[in-house]
Amino acid sequence: MNQAENIVLGGDFKVEALTISFGGLKAVNGFNLHLKPMELQGLIGPNGAGKTTVFNLITGVYLPDSGTSVLDGKSLIGLNPHQISKAGIARTFQNIRLFADLTVLENVMVSYHMRVGYGYFDIFLRTPRYYRIEQEFRDHAFQLLKVMGLEQRKDDKAKSLPYGDQRRLEIARALATEPKVLLLDEPAAGLNTQEKAALMGTIAEIRNRFKTTILLIEHDMKLVMGICEKITVLDHGEIIAVGTPREIQDNPKVIEAYLGVG
Amino acid sequence: MKRFQTLVLIAVVALLWGLNYLFEENLNPYVLRVIINCGIGMILAMSLNLVNGCAGQFSLGHAGFMGVGAYISATITSVLNLSPFFQTDLGVGCAIVIGGIVASIAGYLVGLPSLRLKGDYLAIVTLGFGEIIRICFLNIEAVGGARGLSGIPPKSNFFWVYLWVVVTFIALLRLLRSSYGRAILSVRENEIAAESMGIDISHYKVVAFVVSSFFAGIAGGLFAHFQSFIDPNSFVFNKSVEAVIMVVIGGMGSLSGAILGGVIVTLLPEVLRVFEQYRMVIFPLILIVLMLVRPMGLFGHKEIWELFRRKASS
Repeated sequence: MNQAENIVLGGDFKVEALTISFGGLKAVNGFNLHLKPMELQGLIGPNGAGKTTVFNLITGVYLPDSGTSVLDGKSLIGLNPHQISKAGIARTFQNIRLFADLTVLENVMVSYHMRVGYGYFDIFLRTPRYYRIEQEFRDHAFQLLKVMGLEQRKDDKAKSLPYGDQRRLEIARALATEPKVLLLDEPAAGLNTQEKAALMGTIAEIRNRFKTTILLIEHDMKLVMGICEKITVLDHGEIIAVGTPREIQDNPKVIEAYLGVG
Repeated sequence: MKRFQTLVLIAVVALLWGLNYLFEENLNPYVLRVIINCGIGMILAMSLNLVNGCAGQFSLGHAGFMGVGAYISATITSVLNLSPFFQTDLGVGCAIVIGGIVASIAGYLVGLPSLRLKGDYLAIVTLGFGEIIRICFLNIEAVGGARGLSGIPPKSNFFWVYLWVVVTFIALLRLLRSSYGRAILSVRENEIAAESMGIDISHYKVVAFVVSSFFAGIAGGLFAHFQSFIDPNSFVFNKSVEAVIMVVIGGMGSLSGAILGGVIVTLLPEVLRVFEQYRMVIFPLILIVLMLVRPMGLFGHKEIWELFRRKASS
């Protein structure tokens, strides 16, 4: 066997014909997406286009009316959010959902729980295994915080962080689940121009460092154009364009969706 | 480290044993009764704190679990006549543990609806469960029905009650300071985020209910073997509310706060006896003032030693 065959990059994620209606409204209709391992794709669209609904469908918050969702050959339809998270899909939230009253370090450590190697016996008797694994978790979490530049604030409550740091902590927490696919829901929302640029740099770095596939929702077209290899444009729950940033920029349908018919 | 912990534990047990002797010899029996009731209150408050304070579920049926523990353990020691062993200190201890285990099974059953309900709705369901449990005991003639159950061996003394206070405190603190504890806390903080980080929130809600009702059952067993008489009226809705007040006063999610809350809620009505019939006016007034001054409870989410650390560093 040659070496190339041994290196299996996880994170081949394929979604086909994902559809969901809320009452009479088709929030997402026939959504297709194929993320190749380590690809960085963008999902854009005007307000209310259904971008976050797509995330909620993929992560199991909503059960789709129809459609398939397959990660590395394993179907994810019908699984609970926590099972999907264990399968290797992590996400951040558009409206920040940190564990506000836990410390920054604890926020990240919660994500390690799915791999916890000790049981209730170890907790109550504080066995050496308990100490060893807790220490491992703390070390790993600290390393992750370093990557996101939050190591100084590790013992602060998450709610006491400034807004930009909270966004970074959301990403750190999602990364701690060691995802194959990372879904970022408007990670740059509410940041100023410099912060946005810095964040986009971090996202590109995350992809290379953690070998994850990334799907990025972003409102700001210019930002996505800079770092994404491929972009899907959603409007009124339907895909109106797929292609490279250049193709999307010149697509009349996209211009129409964003600016209206001139 | 390990040896040090064992030594501390032995020292604590010895201290409790010594205090037990000292108190029984020298203390006014009324004062000793109040102290022991405080201990039972502490266990009750710490256990409810796990569900209401840490897992963020609102349970209003804690007296029900306490009742299960009390009735099961009392049935073993004084109704069933299994063996003389259950009249001894150790036997009563075993019966109390069995009561706790049965209470935790009841906790599992009540925990299940909590998977689908939130907030007020869950409070109503747990309230209902608590009442159902009480009405069941009211109608079972074998355990005395409305007359209650008397002649229970009065084996819980200062030593046993406070030994359980220590055990409850250590067990719950260790649970909370672990990955499992963080999972329970994450459910309180944000259910959707917790699920997305791979936490099976349904599982941890039930875990919180089971562990919590185990210790509530223990509190009930100790209570039964302290009063040596129980009737269904010992476990009315008011008792559940009392437990909630203990947790809220101390600070939701703070174990040391729950201990303090347990003491305050048990002690205040006794201290206020000098006001005679105005007692139950003044007691709630104090609670209202306390909530206005410190709405997050005395310790908030923090433990008492964390409060002092914060002060020392700043």
